[in-house]
Amino acid sequence: MKIAVMSCIHGNYEALDAVLRDIDHQKAEKIFCLGDLVGYGPFPSNVVEMVRSLDIPTTQGCWDEDIVEGLNSCECSYPSMLAEKRGRLAHEWTNEHIYPETKEYLAALPKVIKEDNLAFVHGSPQSQHEYLLPELDGFIALERVLSTGADMLFCGHTHVPYVRTLDAGKLRLLVRTGTEVPEAEMREFNAPLKRIVNVGSVGEPRHGRPNATYVIYDTDSDRVTLREVEYDYQKTCAAIIERGLPPIFAWRLAKGLEFAERADDASHLCERGV
Amino acid sequence: MSIATASPQKSADPPVQVWAIAGAVGIGKTGWIFQQIEQTSAPVVYFCPSAGNVPIDPTCLIAEFPHVQIFADGQELELIEKVEQGSIAFIELGFHLDLRSGDMLLDTLADRHTCKRIALVPSELTSSEWHDWADEVIEVKYDLNFQDLQIWRSPFTGQVFDPSSLNVLWYEITQGAYGEVTRVKGIFDLFDGRAFHLDFVAGMEDSLYLPLNVPLWLDGRPERFSGIEVSGRNLDGKAIAQCIIDCCLSEEIMLHYQNQIKQSHQQSRQVAA
Repeated sequence: MKIAVMSCIHGNYEALDAVLRDIDHQKAEKIFCLGDLVGYGPFPSNVVEMVRSLDIPTTQGCWDEDIVEGLNSCECSYPSMLAEKRGRLAHEWTNEHIYPETKEYLAALPKVIKEDNLAFVHGSPQSQHEYLLPELDGFIALERVLSTGADMLFCGHTHVPYVRTLDAGKLRLLVRTGTEVPEAEMREFNAPLKRIVNVGSVGEPRHGRPNATYVIYDTDSDRVTLREVEYDYQKTCAAIIERGLPPIFAWRLAKGLEFAERADDASHLCERGV
Repeated sequence: MSIATASPQKSADPPVQVWAIAGAVGIGKTGWIFQQIEQTSAPVVYFCPSAGNVPIDPTCLIAEFPHVQIFADGQELELIEKVEQGSIAFIELGFHLDLRSGDMLLDTLADRHTCKRIALVPSELTSSEWHDWADEVIEVKYDLNFQDLQIWRSPFTGQVFDPSSLNVLWYEITQGAYGEVTRVKGIFDLFDGRAFHLDFVAGMEDSLYLPLNVPLWLDGRPERFSGIEVSGRNLDGKAIAQCIIDCCLSEEIMLHYQNQIKQSHQQSRQVAA
């Protein structure tokens, strides 16, 4: 069975529409969405309506959470003061333009979806705000997958797609035993092969081109295919300006740059638990 | 961009005491002056007419050559006096100035001193007002369209930048987010007390990021000049200004960082002792 996994649409309806058409063309039988339906882009409610109408299982992204709970970004998110100011502007705009029922839908989204040996999260199982970068320490990456009980963890949030295979997962732990007299015992575990698949971003790519990205996973062949889909991004750029968002968002979208957030510190772990 | 030096003087020639330099935007006028000053042992004075409240080149020059005396608009008489006393004068005419605007000063100086007008000119150009104006033309390989350029400039003395935000601002300006840019130069104070000279010319691979040779400023808002000058077309000055404001630290955050850095310096000194 082919499944499509997409993430980080960020109110970019044109990009979502193009990706859904491509998914249809790829004959995927099921679609999962990893959140961040809103934020930065000009059509947050339309994107949510589309995802809802197709009954796509969706996890809650950091932007979906912040729109519901109020802006509560942690230091995982913003690499600079400028980025934070822009993020705040986008948050305020989205908050003003989103329908109440859209907020209700976002509030009810789960943080983790499990299906068979697959798990779906926005950032990491630990937090929607945590970035699982490809360079993340192998032990921590493995721990994040193991915590879901799945073999394959699909995530988004970084907007840069990748597949990471965690093989040869031999773990050596020093375990303290004994209560009165502390003793240490070395234990070894062999973790089965695990994978992390980052599906990129539909609406706000960060790979230097404006094209949307998502992933097709074939459960029979165990094959992951990264899809890059062209769409009329100029329409979204025009809408960004027409609807009163900062024009610099349009310029950055056209260049395939992030609007404001960017993760670049693979050693940083989010301190906010789920 | 490689720039030739002026023709060597023949020993019979009277020594040049006043150099006037003109040329296209980003062609290397200030760089040429730097080269000459390095080779000059006499006292040097420098004047950049109409630098106004955004004296980027004079600030870079004095950071590199603290012995050079800088003159601003309205100080022409003092400059003449210095030349009378034996200083060598470099007068840099910005690309946006009417070449003849410096004639009155140059004619006055030329009455009693040897003056030489140097034009740095794109090598493709065979005739221009620079050719007509100059005593000597230095041809430079230069591909930019220098016609009908607009200048947007702003001082921001006292403002302290968040370095990550400054990187984004610089990238966006130089890559055309706020209009087609031919040249950008600026001086920026950072939270760690350093000041940087940033310089970009379209067509060059990288921007120049150069820490200025000035003391660390860690006691409140810097009282030395900082500012930016953007040359290009269809520039959106309002958007650039807003972006600059968004990159600057609040008083509270700036003081917090400055205190942290001062403490860290103090600890380093104690460890060294």
